[in-house]
Amino acid sequence: MSVTGSRRLLAVVAFIAVSLAAGSVQAQTRAETLRYVTGASVNTLDPNIPGSTREAFAVSLSTYDRLVSFGRKQLNGKWVFDLGKITGELAESYEVSADGLKMTFRLRKDAKFQDGTPVTAEDVKWSLDRVVTAPVLGKAQLLTGSMTSADQFKVIDPLTIEVTLPKPDKLALPNLATVYPIIINSKVAKEHATAEDPWALAWLKENTAGSGAYKIETFKPGEQVIMSRNTAWNRGTADKSAFFKRVIVQSVPEPATRANLVERGDADLVIDLQASDVQSLEAKGKLKVTSTPQYNAVTFVSMNNQIPPFDNVNVRRAVAFALPYEDMFKAALFGRGSPLFGATWADGKPSSGAYPIPQPVKLDLDKAKEYLKAAGMPDGFSTTFSFNVGQASTAEPMAALVKESLAKIGIKVDIQKLPDAQMSTQINEKKLPFFTEGIVAWLPSTDYFYRNFYTGNQRWNYSSINNPELVEIAQKARFEPDAAKYEEDGIKLNAIHFSEIPQIPLWQPSQDAVMASSVEGYTYQFHRQVDYRDLNRK
Amino acid sequence: MIRAGRRFLSSLPALFGVLVFTFLLMRVLPGDPAVFFASGPNAGKEEIEVIRKQMGLNKPVPEQLMLYLYDVGSGNLGRSMMTGQLVTKDLRERLPASLELTLTALLIALLSAVPLGVLAALRPGSIIDHGVRFFCALGVCVPTFVSGLLLIYVFYYLLGLAPDPTGRVDIFASLPPRQTGFLLIDFLLAGDFDGWWAAFRQLILPALSMALFVVAPLARITRASMLVSLGSDFVRTARSLGLPWWQVVVTYALRNAILPVITIAGIVFSTMLGANVLVEKVFSWPGVASYALDALLSSDYAPVQGFVLLMATVFVIVNLLVDILYGIADPRVTIG
Repeated sequence: MSVTGSRRLLAVVAFIAVSLAAGSVQAQTRAETLRYVTGASVNTLDPNIPGSTREAFAVSLSTYDRLVSFGRKQLNGKWVFDLGKITGELAESYEVSADGLKMTFRLRKDAKFQDGTPVTAEDVKWSLDRVVTAPVLGKAQLLTGSMTSADQFKVIDPLTIEVTLPKPDKLALPNLATVYPIIINSKVAKEHATAEDPWALAWLKENTAGSGAYKIETFKPGEQVIMSRNTAWNRGTADKSAFFKRVIVQSVPEPATRANLVERGDADLVIDLQASDVQSLEAKGKLKVTSTPQYNAVTFVSMNNQIPPFDNVNVRRAVAFALPYEDMFKAALFGRGSPLFGATWADGKPSSGAYPIPQPVKLDLDKAKEYLKAAGMPDGFSTTFSFNVGQASTAEPMAALVKESLAKIGIKVDIQKLPDAQMSTQINEKKLPFFTEGIVAWLPSTDYFYRNFYTGNQRWNYSSINNPELVEIAQKARFEPDAAKYEEDGIKLNAIHFSEIPQIPLWQPSQDAVMASSVEGYTYQFHRQVDYRDLNRK
Repeated sequence: MIRAGRRFLSSLPALFGVLVFTFLLMRVLPGDPAVFFASGPNAGKEEIEVIRKQMGLNKPVPEQLMLYLYDVGSGNLGRSMMTGQLVTKDLRERLPASLELTLTALLIALLSAVPLGVLAALRPGSIIDHGVRFFCALGVCVPTFVSGLLLIYVFYYLLGLAPDPTGRVDIFASLPPRQTGFLLIDFLLAGDFDGWWAAFRQLILPALSMALFVVAPLARITRASMLVSLGSDFVRTARSLGLPWWQVVVTYALRNAILPVITIAGIVFSTMLGANVLVEKVFSWPGVASYALDALLSSDYAPVQGFVLLMATVFVIVNLLVDILYGIADPRVTIG
């Protein structure tokens, strides 16, 4: 072999080695990147902007910090958020005064915004003032925690802030851990504020000024968001920065395509697949599937209690005993969720004061017919059953089963499939007699559910129930400090619910997170999105 | 050219009509966008009012219309609630994506449909003719999203030949500096051939599934019009003079048969641009049609109105182009 020949060989070997090394570098960056695909999209970087999507909430959790955050616990072997454990995020420590009227937060000394300036109590005050003053989504949320005015937030010293409450409110502290009360770099935001827009809503919609675990790299509304890690962030559970160097949030509208992507390993995580796809992916066993019943959400069949014939309690009872629960559960969700029917209550008393609890209802056509007779309508009646297009994949098979089963007791049902905006308008105007919808509560407590979803002439009171006793107990329970008495109130509320049957709880659907087998740390969060900071790759 | 300009001007009243009609139609449709967008877990009456004000829906409809017309006149199509962006910005970003896809699909369709149609016309009733007919029927019968999903299943999922069907370019790749918005052109201008190849690979499957659907009308019309033209006197004369067969077919028969094909191609293009929403959805293509559909479902007025206006304008321009092409294909035709 000549000298040139061996040189050439060497060059070839060197080339191959270099390209292999380059390949492994590329593979490594892929391993440090999380690609999350979703059918929805991110439309704003500030979760407070009216119209924000849930995906926008998820992004804001990573780009901003809050004063406090929820811990996590294991529920049947799966990680879920823990309302009972509130830990500091920007706050190093906090204390609630003995009378429950004062909360004092001490900020972390080392906390810095992404531009390198320290987080001060002034920033916290400006941010909280913004939530309760500006026309933003957080206003209504913080109201549920008795925080309504900027006067309630006081700067004690550069690292201490005090929140005063008009009365002790259990939900005040948890409210500060929700999506809206983000802590914004007030110096930067003020630079972009204008006379008409003193809270810089327009600028913060497209830009971030936070201290969170991730920085925005690119933001294309409706298409994708790419975030890179903020290495200085140390508010994680193990006091270190987030695991993934890059997070890609990409909108892929077609559910079948999302399933293909995650199965081929091109996407790492997806939470909104169709139940049938989840089932087949789970059966193949290549991917990790974490199904968590959404224990802060409920799917209902609702009846408008103010419109005949559903203003008659016996009609509502008849419907409750004429629904084919098991079949609906299988057809709509492939059984992926936890059912809220078919329970037996000892002595007819609610089994607990929690909400929601399984109801003692099942398919019993004879009983249903009796109730119809008692209502004075033995021959039944005609009505419509509505659902929105966005939920068609689960609601459509369900509606067909409802129609079929109610026909057996003489109730003739016309199925109405409405575009989402039309459905929400009609619900708001209380025009729909009979429909299916779902609710979710970020801070699920019995009184919260009853106050928000069973009182007042407002949109979320789907059944339009107006029961003074229920309202009174729910309002009282809100400020009840004694746990045993609170439980008692809960049982009373649940008993009223069952005797009135304003609407019929069906189930809590599962959140099916499908991920590459290397992805770990997934936690079901109150906002039902992925908190990218929880995740890592082994 | 002046005539073309005058024709364009004469279509302005039609565009104005479309504008007003869409505006009123959106208001008449049931569904209140404010209620839809105020859908956070605590959104109450107050939030709905804020959004209503933000969208200008608290004013009477005639006043809204005047404000809207004024805005459109000054080049502002309003703001989308869905993406939070100005509609003009959204459309400017998304229209090239749709155009690139539709033009590629139309090119593929024409390149396959015209030869197929000619072949079928040359041997009517033969096995080739039946084969073409069968292929066309198949293309029309299979809805685009089915063929799209099928192509994805075979080429991406099973064979792994195609890149993942998510948008115009691999998510890990970097985009070329934006010049035209057409990625194939921008990559070329930037001299990035790897990027060009990547963008082309992303484009080919969605373009194919759209092309399959429109091959049929184009091939059938080519065949029909070729049959007429092949049976005409001048072709018989050309044949009897002993001209080479390709000259007879291409220069004499096809040139004369191409007019109806151009007409259909213009119509097909305009329809494809708006109607390829399913392909855009299946391939996560960030185009205008899927944007408009999402807006329509959530009663987001401004994007829908902007989209309809855009489509009407495109339609006008395409018709104009078709007329000009007429003139080239047949010198007897002038734009009147």
